[in-house]
Parts: sequence; C-alpha cells; structure tokens
Amino acid sequence: MKILVCITNVPDTTAKISFIDGDTKFNKTGVQYICGPYDDYALSRAVELKEQHGGTVTVLNVGEAESEQVIRKCLAIGADDAIRVNTEPTDSYFVAEQIAHIASQENYDLILMGRESIDFNSGVVHGLVGEMLGIPSLSPVMKLEIDGGVAKMTREIEGGKEDVEASLPLVLGCQEPIAEWKIPNMRGIMSARTKPLKVVEPVGSGLTITEKYALPAPKGAVKMIPAEEAEKLIDLLKNEAKVL
Amino acid sequence: MAQQYSRRNLDFMLKEVLKVGELTQYPHFQDYTPDMFDMVLDTAEEIADKIMRPAYVESDRKQPELINGQVKVHPAVKDYMKAMGDSGMISATFHYEHGGQQLPLLVNAANEFIRGAAHNSFVMFTGLTAGSAHLIYSFGSKELQEKFADRMITAEWTGTMCLTEPQAGSSLSDVVTTASPQADGTYKIKGQKVFISAGDHDIADNIIHLVLARIEGAPLGTKGISLFVVPKFRADDAGNYTIDNDVVSTGIYHKMGQKATPAMHLTFGDKDNSVGYLVGEANRGLQYMFQMMNEARLGVGMGGTYIASAAYYAALEYAQERPQGRRLTNKNLVDSQTFIINHPDVRRMLTFQKAIVEGCIGLLFQCYWWQDMIHGLGSDNEEAKAYQTMLDLMTTVAKTYPAEYGIKAVNEGLQVFGGYGYTEDFPLEQMARDVRIMSIYEGTTGIHSLNLLGRGVTANGGKAPQLLFAEVMKTVIEAKNHEVLLPYAEKLEKELGRLQKVTMHLLGLAAQGNNEVFLADATLYMELFGIITVAWQWLKQGVVSQNAIEQSAPTGDELAFYQDKIHTMKFYFHYELIKTLSLAARLLDTEVLTVLHEEVEA
Ligand SMILES: Cc1cc2nc3c(=O)[nH]c(=O)nc-3n(C[C@H](O)[C@H](O)[C@H](O)COP(=O)(O)OP(=O)(O)OC[C@H]3O[C@@H](n4cnc5c(N)ncnc54)[C@H](O)[C@@H]3O)c2cc1C
Ligand SMILES: Cc1cc2nc3c(=O)[nH]c(=O)nc-3n(C[C@H](O)[C@H](O)[C@H](O)COP(=O)(O)OP(=O)(O)OC[C@H]3O[C@@H](n4cnc5c(N)ncnc54)[C@H](O)[C@@H]3O)c2cc1C
Repeated sequence: MKILVCITNVPDTTAKISFIDGDTKFNKTGVQYICGPYDDYALSRAVELKEQHGGTVTVLNVGEAESEQVIRKCLAIGADDAIRVNTEPTDSYFVAEQIAHIASQENYDLILMGRESIDFNSGVVHGLVGEMLGIPSLSPVMKLEIDGGVAKMTREIEGGKEDVEASLPLVLGCQEPIAEWKIPNMRGIMSARTKPLKVVEPVGSGLTITEKYALPAPKGAVKMIPAEEAEKLIDLLKNEAKVL
Repeated sequence: MAQQYSRRNLDFMLKEVLKVGELTQYPHFQDYTPDMFDMVLDTAEEIADKIMRPAYVESDRKQPELINGQVKVHPAVKDYMKAMGDSGMISATFHYEHGGQQLPLLVNAANEFIRGAAHNSFVMFTGLTAGSAHLIYSFGSKELQEKFADRMITAEWTGTMCLTEPQAGSSLSDVVTTASPQADGTYKIKGQKVFISAGDHDIADNIIHLVLARIEGAPLGTKGISLFVVPKFRADDAGNYTIDNDVVSTGIYHKMGQKATPAMHLTFGDKDNSVGYLVGEANRGLQYMFQMMNEARLGVGMGGTYIASAAYYAALEYAQERPQGRRLTNKNLVDSQTFIINHPDVRRMLTFQKAIVEGCIGLLFQCYWWQDMIHGLGSDNEEAKAYQTMLDLMTTVAKTYPAEYGIKAVNEGLQVFGGYGYTEDFPLEQMARDVRIMSIYEGTTGIHSLNLLGRGVTANGGKAPQLLFAEVMKTVIEAKNHEVLLPYAEKLEKELGRLQKVTMHLLGLAAQGNNEVFLADATLYMELFGIITVAWQWLKQGVVSQNAIEQSAPTGDELAFYQDKIHTMKFYFHYELIKTLSLAARLLDTEVLTVLHEEVEA
C-alpha cells in the first residue's frame, strides 16, 4: 500500500503570535514549529497501516526550508521518505494544487491529511485535493481500517458518528482517536537522517495576497466571586456586564 | 501548571555555550546531525507533558504500599517506563554494541532535565535501570549482558542498586552481606539491604538487583567487596524466569518526598535460596559500582536543579498574578494592590532561584560535556585525560552544590507563595519535600566534602585544581575583553586567589598530621568551592551572552534573554559570591570548636 501523508508546519500552540511589515506578515522569530496535531494522527495511522499491510509512507509538505525540521521528525516517527514543495503556502487552493500535482504522479492508495491545520483552520485542503484528483474525500475520520481495496471508517458528524465504507484510492482528513500517539524513538531519529527528502518547485502561483492581519482583542480581567455570594454575581451581571 | 524549565535556556547551554554540534566531528558521534538532538528533546517533552506531569501530584498523595508482600506503584510509572523503553531512551547513551545509540551525555542530560522537572520521582526508575544495565554491560560477562541487561534497556525489567545496609550507610566498608560460592559458579547471597529505591513494584515481571556483598573469607574493608546480579526471579530449566529468588520485601519506608518511588528494606536469602551472579572479578565490586555511583551523583545534582527549576517557574508565574500590598513608594490606599513581583524582596527571591538553577545547569552540563569529549577524543588522548582529571574532581561538587542550593532555591520558591506555598493547593510543598533527599542519598554532603578536601584537591600533587583553575582563567581572560564583564572577571580572579589561599592553609593543617582538624570544616570548604565554580559558570554564560548581544544584534525576546543572563550573572556575583568572605574567614580561623578530645561513648 502506498500512502501519502500531507503535513503542515505550524507554530506551537504556546507560541506568541505577532505580525510585522505593517501587519501583513507573520513574525516568525523565536517561534517554535510543530507538525499539525491532526496531521500527526494521520501520520501515526499511516505508520500503523504500513506495519499491518506493508507498503510505503511518504510525507509531503508545501512549505519553505524551515519546515524541514518537522519533516525530519515525521521521518523519525516512521515515514520512509519525504517531499517538500518549496514555496510559501499562501492559500488553501494553492496548497491543494501542489498536493494534487504530486499525487497525480504516483498511484497512492491513500492520501491522509489532518482534519484541519491549526494555524488557519480552514479544513478544506482534503476536499479540494479530492476534487482535483477526481477521487472521494472524507473528513473528519476518527477510525480507519483497510480490508483489501476497501476502507472502513468512522466519521464524526453533527451530534454523532457515522460508519462508512469506500474503495481506495481516497483522500481523508483525520482526527483522534484514529491512531495511538507516537513519539520518535532513538532508532527512528538516527535513521531519519539518511531517509530521502526530495525538494521540488511549485506549479502555478498563489491567488491570495494578505492585506492585513489582526490579533483578537485581549480578554478582559476576571472577577472571582465566592459561590456563596450568588447575589453579588447577579448584581454584577445586571449592572456591570449588562448581560441580564 | 506553569512551564517548568526553559527550553530556550537548555538550547543556550547546548548550542551556544557548549556547542554540542561540534561533537559530531568525532567518530563516536559521527552518526548525528545537530537537528537530531532537538528531536531527542522534543521526545522528552512529549513524554513529560503526556505521561509525567499529569501524575506528579496524584502519585505523591497515593504512595506505594506493601500489602501481603506486594508493592503497588502508581500506574503511570508503567506508562512512563514503556514510553522510555520503546523510544530507546533508557540506553540512548550506551555504545551501539550494548543496544545504545551513542547519544552525547550532554543531550541526554537536557532530556533528563525536561523529564525530571515534570516528575522527579519517576526519573528514579529509569535512572536506576539505565545505571544498573550500564554496569552489567561495562563489567559483566556476555552471558549476564544477554540474560539481564538486554531486557532492562527495553524496560521489560527494571534495575536497582543495593549498597546500603543498616550498619553501612556512609561507611560502605562495613557492608556485611555475604556471598557463598556454589559448585556451579553462582553464589548464595545473604543479608539485609535498606532504602533500596524501586526495590519492589508491580510494573515489571522481574527486578534486577545489583548487590554489594562479601565473598566468604574476603579481606576487610572496601577491598573485600564484590558485585552481584541478584534477580527477583531466576530462570527455571526452560530458561523462564519463574523461580522465586528469595529476595523478600520486609518493609517499605514512608518517606518525606519522592513518594512515587518506593524505598524498600530487602532481605536476601532468608531461606538460603537467593542466587547471585558475580559481575567481573571478585573483590572489585566497589570499584565497578563507582561507575554507577558517579553517574548517579551527577543525576542527583540534576535532581536538585530540575526540581528547583520547576519551583522557580511556578513561583515566577504566581508572583506575576498575586496582588498584595503597594510599592513602598506608593502610600495611596485607593490604588489597587500591586503584583508581588514588583516588591524588591520578591524579586530577590526569584532572581536567586534563577541564578541557582541556571548556574547549576552550567556546572552539571560542563561535567557531561567533559565526558562527551573523553568519548570523542578517546581516553588515551592527553586533552581527554585532563578532562577526566577535572571530572573526577568536580563530580562531587556537581552533586553537592546543586543538591544543597537546590533545596535553598525551592525553599525560596515556596516563600514566594506565602501561606499558599505551605498548603497542598500548590505543588511547592511537594517540591520542597521531594528535593530534600538530594543532599542525603548518593553520599551525604558531609561525605562528599571529605572526599573533595581529603582526596580530590590533593590527588596527584594537586593536578586537578591546577587544571581547573587554568580553565577558569581562560574564561576570566575572555571576559576581560568586554567592558561590562571586566569587573566580574576581576572579582572571579580574586576569588581564585582566595580559594588557593584557603586550600594552602588547610593543607598546612593536614601536614601537621591531625586529619580531624584538617577535615573538620570540609563541608564549608565544599560550599566555598561550589560557589566559586558556579561563579565561573556564570561568567562563562555572561561571555557567551555578551558576545551574542554585540555580534548578532538580537531584538525582542532574544535580546531580553541575553540581558537577563547578564543581569542574573551580576546577581550571582553581588549576592552569592560574596559569601566566600565569611566562609574563607571561618576556614582560615584556627579556633577549633568541633573536634572532640575524647570520643562520646554509648
Ligand atoms: C508563511 C505563511 C503565509 C501564509 N499566507 C497566507 C495567506 O496570505 N492567506 C491565506 O489564506 N493563508 C495563508 N497561509 C496559510 C496557508 O494557506 C495554510 O498554512 C495552509 O493552506 C493550510 O491552511 P488551511 O487552513 O487551508 O488548511 P486545512 O484545510 O485546514 O488543512 C487540512 C489538512 O491539509 C493538509 N495541508 C494543509 N496545508 C498543507 C501544506 N502547506 N502542506 C502539506 N499539507 C497541508 C494538512 O494535512 C492539513 O491538516 C500562510 C501560511 C504561512 C505558513
Ligand atoms: C529515599 C532514599 C533512597 C535511597 N535509595 C538508595 C538506593 O537505591 N540504594 C542504596 O544502596 N541506598 C539508598 N539510600 C541510602 C542512602 O544512600 C543513605 O541513606 C546514605 O548513604 C546515608 O547513609 P545513612 O542513612 O546510613 O546515614 P549515616 O551514614 O548514618 O549518616 C548520618 C549523618 O552522619 C554523617 N556522617 C556519617 N559518617 C560520617 C563521617 N565519617 N564523617 C563525617 N560525617 C559522617 C552523615 O553525613 C550524616 O549527616 C537511599 C536513602 C533514602 C533516604
């Protein structure tokens, strides 16, 4: 089985976010990057499927050289090789185009992604890639088993779950608990160094130009009111916050 | 919970001060690239975040109990061991041929720091397992390696070190556990061992004890001690480890801290059926055990430091959120209260903690770096020999100063919390209990101080301090190139002079032949030595920071990081280094008040 896992290189959730160049660019200095947590689940499941069924796992990232640290980590977790499309991923459509272009050159049985990136959280790249390749896409998938040429899945839907089946090839957006959480082990870290990481140039060009970023307004101060003073709380909600 | 360590600071130490990437030029480390070291630390962070930190408080409140001869520990210990075994972290620093990955000890130290700050008590399990497996690989037969060590580094089995006996704590020459030779080449072990950490538990199918014992007829003292592997279960005829090896848990200590790790009283061979396997040659056991003890000593220094780090970041967070009182310059009671971080006394406490944590990291990482350089250069290399000599001298200091000052730093952290620090609502009281052991196990402060003054500084005609002082002078000379650092370089140079003067004075007392008078205040000498060498580490960090400010013009958080370093360095010199005045005064004082003329009898 050939699996392609698409990963994002995103700021750590604890990173301080700020902008530069008249608020048109994200300030990267001092920011620690991680692999998108949903992408991590996708990769972990891919590695498990490879262990069960054999095959290969290729990691794909659309991003600049700074992504390579996170890509190496994916190789350490168990991917066999990696491709980086050398460009700034300026919008979802552009990213999807790159992924579809790479995917169309090989016959992948599965293209696994996270349900959404955690920087821009659009949750659309898998849908776009499915359309571009003319194959089904499903998200968010929380359980995935492969039986011959068929994928058996559980998907989260509004207020519940749905069991679905579809034939390969497929594009899937993944989320927990699809796989066991994996950490790079020493052997993986050692072997990651020698696994191939191919860098290719993008096709086409992005459609979006960022005019301005803005941070959400800071949260107001919190007032603590002891449980026994309910009246005080009601008074504050009425007269100060004016929400009652 | 607050952040518990600064990854930025660990990176600073590894990459900027000690330049860990340069180690990869040596054959021993040639399979690494520097980015792989980052990955190792990322893995440590994941284990710490996901498994260790969440169990820190609970595993303290529900301490292990001995019920019907069985010890149950917190279930997260098992998850932790599994993650460490699966990730290959237990043996990461070992040779390839011993199931390791030849990871630099320096990187491993940062890895341990991250884990220890999250849960210091869990780290005991892996530290003991790694140390005892390493001992078997270093001195045991191929058979012992394959039978035992190979199953320890995967965390299938765990290890212990069994040195202490009721009458033999500090004085290991008084060990009386016996080993009687059997016809098949094994030994029957008989005796009591006390305080054995991780000596019993329910997380692994077997526990491999490394036991110091005397073969019948062996000479008295340390020259008659041998080392044995004594498993909890030994192999049956089919090679399965099913036979109860007569190692009985006779008691569990209810301790002040580190409660997640059971400390056991073990009885070996009560039914005359405890089989041990000799490691290496007879009567060389203590010498072998020194490898594990030296590893563990640095580990204990780390313990003092990473607990102090966790306490510091907790206190820092609290001080930024707790409003209390007004600044002394503000008499206006209508103004809202200020955060306590704005009070100079609170800032003093916080800066003290930071100065201790980062200074001790400097001292400890220096020792790990020396070891890596010895591996890199090969132990026959002249430079490597010099590093070994300094390491031998400094291991005892790098155990003791961080242990003693770690305790002080955690205590100040608790103080920052005021009354809340004394309650179970915050983790400071637990940290204060946990850290207290550091100056006791792996040799008390008193014993290490005797070592330092009685042996360390005098061995080979004082070669070790000579080499060390030359190393300190290198830093002093570099620092003198920077205007900001010049006064501190001069101060440190003066302190070296003071230390030499005190040392000469004490050696003069030794020459007069009364060892008790000579060594009576060894612990104060240790403190003096520790303060001056930590000041050296601070100056070293100051030089690197000042270079960074001058050469790469950092801005924002990065600039603040380096400025903070310089500020904390200054604090260390102005508040801590000056303690040498009183220490030296006492050490040069000839009034003898603690040496008895007649021994107290029972
Ligand atoms: C420096 C920089 C500048 C940017 N500028 C802009 C901008 O100007 N305008 C704008 O709209 N967005 C911008 N982005 C955001 C960029 O479009 C997103 O990082 C990317 O498209 C994913 O966001 P998404 O929410 O569309 O992904 P989602 O649809 O939420 O992602 C779903 C899944 O698709 C896969 N995926 C997504 N992105 C990638 C990728 N790059 N490589 C491989 N797999 C991927 C992952 O598996 C992910 O979990 C910028 C990002 C960066 C880092
Ligand atoms: C929680 C815990 C875990 C432990 N884990 C282990 C373990 O895993 N394995 C193991 O083998 N041991 C372990 N120990 C034992 C530990 O190493 C000893 O407690 C320690 O070596 C001190 O020995 P002692 O308790 O007998 O104290 P003593 O030796 O009785 O010392 C009492 C005091 O007298 C001082 N003193 C003793 N002799 C001298 C001297 N000659 N000159 C000056 N002062 C002296 C000491 O400094 C100390 O202050 C553990 C102990 C504890 C508390």
